[in-house]
Amino acid sequence: MKRVVYLIFFLIAAVACKEVFEAPPQAFLKASLLNSSTKKSLSSVVTARGVGMDSLLYKDSTITILILPLSPNNKSSFRITFDSISDTITFTHEASMKYASVETGFYNEYKLKSIGFTKNRIDSIQITDSLVTKTWHENITLYLRPLPAGSN
Amino acid sequence: MKGIRLGADITRPFQDLWTKGNRYGTEFSADMELWPNLFPVFESGFEVMKINTSYIDYKSSGSYSRIGMDYNFLQAENKNDKNIFYVGLRYGFVLAKQQVNSYTIDSYWAPTTGRFGNQNYFAHWGEFLIGIKGEIVHNFYMGWTIRGKIKLNNKDTGMPPIYFIPGYGKAEKGFNMDFTYSVYYNLPWDFRKSIDRKKAAIGVPAKGTITKKPSPQKLPAKK
Repeated sequence: MKRVVYLIFFLIAAVACKEVFEAPPQAFLKASLLNSSTKKSLSSVVTARGVGMDSLLYKDSTITILILPLSPNNKSSFRITFDSISDTITFTHEASMKYASVETGFYNEYKLKSIGFTKNRIDSIQITDSLVTKTWHENITLYLRPLPAGSN
Repeated sequence: MKGIRLGADITRPFQDLWTKGNRYGTEFSADMELWPNLFPVFESGFEVMKINTSYIDYKSSGSYSRIGMDYNFLQAENKNDKNIFYVGLRYGFVLAKQQVNSYTIDSYWAPTTGRFGNQNYFAHWGEFLIGIKGEIVHNFYMGWTIRGKIKLNNKDTGMPPIYFIPGYGKAEKGFNMDFTYSVYYNLPWDFRKSIDRKKAAIGVPAKGTITKKPSPQKLPAKK
């Protein structure tokens, strides 16, 4: 019996460590940047923020893929500057709450309904997958007009 | 073995030391050797599970019971040897409730907060176990069990699904392992003697007693 008691205390000591709970997953909209003329991947210096928000999502970042967080409300608007030319994109979507686990919590997933945008640098936007889930994958393709020769 | 053995599981209050979240409870048991080497068992307890992180404040609690039978393999060395090594089966069931007091969904735009009210649920499961009970001092026992638990069913509560079943463990798992360590006291009450005394009082012959001598019968003579 004594040995069993010692074994129990040993097991308790071995497993009694600090608990770590992970943060819940997040669903982000993923956009690929393409050249509207060549239809090839395009690299751009991007600055982006949500309309009405102070904090920047990107600041002069050279990227080919844009990751955007959608709002839990039905509309998300972003002011995005591509190589010093600014556009505004507004996503209309539905948000639905998902359960990850009690240890992590809940998160939102989204279904894109429509997209509105200004056409300063953006030529067109194509929805490739309207479901924005925790497994980040391409949801839209942004076709950008090529910069005029000599600019940059 | 004479009497009813009453026990308390001393591991239940300290489960949060080896499980994720703050899990604790109490459990009591009663068993009795009704037939040679067969011990009907009743176990009952109360458990609480709490998880409190930056994203969720969860609580589940409930009272559970188990009924079953143990079979002793150990051969008694003498009539005072009361130690047993046994296997057992249990049927467990619980009425419990869970509640998400608050949750937070982090977002660039603004965090969303909310809560889910009380969800009551019933769940049941089966257990198979192996264990020992050894007499430490006269009528006082200690013993452990290792248990495998198989979930039979639980109510679908929708959002959020049931996370924890008191007495069973995590609801998302169809099979859980558990370990218990208990102390027991054997109430030295000989229920067989009591029954015999009552029967004698109302004139019913007690089992195994001879009330009348059988009349001698003449056997046919061998030819």
